[in-house]
Amino acid sequence: MSWLDSTVHRAVVEAVLVGALGGVVGVFVIARRLPFFTMALTHATFPGIVVAAMLGVNLYLGGGLFGLLVVAAVLAFGRARGQDFTTATGIALSGGFALGVVLVSSQDGFTKDLAAYTVGDVLAVGTGDLVATGVVVVAVSLLLALLGKELLLTAFDPVGAAALGLPTLLLDFALLAAVEVTVVATVPALGTILAVALIVGPAATARLITDRLAPLFPIAAAIGVACALAGVWVSTLWNVATGASIALFVGLVFGVVFLGTAVRGRVRRATAANPA
Amino acid sequence: MIFFEPFQFPFMARALIELVILGVLAGTVGVLVLLRRLAFVSDTLTHTVFPGVVIGHLMGGDGGIFWGALAAGVATAALLTLLTHRRRVSEDAALAMLLTTLFAVGVVLVSRQTGFTSDLTAFLFGRVLTVTEAQLAQTAVVTVLVVALLAALRRPLLLRAFDPEGARAAGVPVGLLDLVLNVAVALVVVAAVKAVGTVLVIALLIVPAAAARTLSDRLVVIVPLACLVGAAAGWLGLVVSYQASVEYGVRLASGATVVLALVVMYGLAHAAGFARRRLGLSRARRTAMEVAA
Amino acid sequence: MIERAPTLVLDRASVAYGDVPVLEELNGVVHEGEAVALIGPNGAGKSTFIKALLGLVPVVRGRIEVLGRSPAQARRDVAYVPQADTLDPDFPVSVEQVAMMGRYRRIGWLRRPSAADRAEVAEALERVGLAHRARDRFGTLSGGQRQRVLLARAIAAKPRMLLLDEPFNGVDAVSQHALLEAIASMKEQGASVVVSTHDLAIAHLACDEVCLLNRHQFGFGPTEDVLTPERLRATYGGHALELRGDRVIVTQT
Repeated sequence: MSWLDSTVHRAVVEAVLVGALGGVVGVFVIARRLPFFTMALTHATFPGIVVAAMLGVNLYLGGGLFGLLVVAAVLAFGRARGQDFTTATGIALSGGFALGVVLVSSQDGFTKDLAAYTVGDVLAVGTGDLVATGVVVVAVSLLLALLGKELLLTAFDPVGAAALGLPTLLLDFALLAAVEVTVVATVPALGTILAVALIVGPAATARLITDRLAPLFPIAAAIGVACALAGVWVSTLWNVATGASIALFVGLVFGVVFLGTAVRGRVRRATAANPA
Repeated sequence: MIFFEPFQFPFMARALIELVILGVLAGTVGVLVLLRRLAFVSDTLTHTVFPGVVIGHLMGGDGGIFWGALAAGVATAALLTLLTHRRRVSEDAALAMLLTTLFAVGVVLVSRQTGFTSDLTAFLFGRVLTVTEAQLAQTAVVTVLVVALLAALRRPLLLRAFDPEGARAAGVPVGLLDLVLNVAVALVVVAAVKAVGTVLVIALLIVPAAAARTLSDRLVVIVPLACLVGAAAGWLGLVVSYQASVEYGVRLASGATVVLALVVMYGLAHAAGFARRRLGLSRARRTAMEVAA
Repeated sequence: MIERAPTLVLDRASVAYGDVPVLEELNGVVHEGEAVALIGPNGAGKSTFIKALLGLVPVVRGRIEVLGRSPAQARRDVAYVPQADTLDPDFPVSVEQVAMMGRYRRIGWLRRPSAADRAEVAEALERVGLAHRARDRFGTLSGGQRQRVLLARAIAAKPRMLLLDEPFNGVDAVSQHALLEAIASMKEQGASVVVSTHDLAIAHLACDEVCLLNRHQFGFGPTEDVLTPERLRATYGGHALELRGDRVIVTQT
């Protein structure tokens, strides 16, 4: 008997891992304004996972490979005349998801699989999933720790980075790939749509609390972990969908902090206006 | 003729009519979505309508869905307009938060019900083959209203899309126009969601306009072309999914097949636009050389 | 007078994006400690010229030599200052972090800034008069102050050539003065400066030489010789000039 034999224990570990991962990667997603792109990735990895399930190969591998194809497609279409990155992203999003739906609909157990994929089920994660998520956490943290300053410069000032001789295309790809593997690791727990909540939400909340880069990472990770744990707890208590509970907590924390900083800003402005 | 034969069945004919009407509606609104780069806003609206659908269903059964969706759609359109005008958080982060949080509310409510997964899938890609005549009438009314509204406001809407500062300087109420457009997108979602689901709605809003834009620079061409692409993809998708299930015994979700047809048409338009520009370029170069000679 | 070494050599150079030539037949020489102003209307290819000096746009004919090497090989000793308003003001970086980016090339991959790097950054911020704002977020500064931070970033890189893309656009008087001071002190230390601008007064004030550009080169040489009404009229297309005594006003850019 190991501690990990319990579904709830496994769910707790997975929640902590994806919470921390989503928070840390989210800081870059927010800074680079990639939330919509992340949304597209979560939808477009869907067909990859379906194909992998049909062929009996590793789901993470299938989803990951297909996601990379989507990255390339968005970059290619985004360069067309009269189109912009947002439109290309929207097309990749709906096209990818529709392909997945068409593939799933030709199989049996259609609606159940689709629902599981869309809203996720953290209570169903196995030890293998935990290992996969753990590997992703280590790899992404290592990437951000080692190439943090180069990624930062490329994100902030791409031409300046190229002028320094940095391989900007490669660095861009590294960042998008990090977002992609995070998505692939998060989707089994939260589902496509709500995975975005855990990647964007904690970082956006942290961004309201501080303007400084260094504290963003620990704050975002802490918010991610706390929301993930609270979500798992509530969902086992009241038997509601886990991914949605986590996303609700993320939204709640964001809303509270948003209102809190708005009030604080208004008070500060009022005192500045009337110093007496 | 395999292209017309499926529509002898009344349910297929109704599905086709619904998709053609929606193609016109979404094509018109979609061009403005494209010009204003509102793809993410539209995607957000498709998801935030979900809790309205669930609550409407809980309160008034099937008949309550339309009104629940309408209430949620208009409310979130207003909320979005406010949120994007106060630049406290970067806009896309705010959209992502609104989208996921409200969608999560819907999922939590649904997950308390029995028949959870089947309700969810119905919402995600609708049931175009079970469209009723009452729904067709609803869609048609919404389409007439929205297209008339946008046609009446086309000049200020275009000015605002092209030059927001200039519009403001000319005394155009920019905030109100943004609200109008967001509500128009919400109405498309409301009209379409029960029949075709969120994924198809977002595709119908974005893809036809983008395809039309690669083929033309002129707005008077782009709008009808977008409507045509949307309607044609609806027809093609229905034919393909029907033939696949009747001839080959392969079940393909019809809504999703329509989206794939849209993406294929976008790819073709992209290729055609590219070829046209290449041709135009070499012609221009030849003329230049003749002039030089 | 001491013979100064050439830092930039243009020899019948043409640059192009893909098969579309942007600038053709560029000729000229810049020496150590000299500043050259790039002057021409919008779309004349000034930004492309600067990118060519960075090796980001290919030279399709002729030769561009920066510090005796090809542009791409010379990047180590060249610093680039972009227009401040092309950067995202919401990005969560502090003034100090932006200036530190100038040191990245010297710090190298996988390593962290040392105390010496921090000292260089502090000194560079001091030189543009913004040391007291080091810990503030970049986006909270005014446009002119942001431009000064970007110049500090370039100074921190200790370059032998400094490239500035329209640094004076929409900049307040205090910042313009600070920018001009900093550019002058870079020149004194022997760096060459290439600066694109619309402002003919600044070219007179800060630069020894002028390069007139509009797809082709309409003149390259000492400021007094090149900034003549005739040449400016040729560059800007004739009708776009008003002349009052020795003052030249470009009415349409």
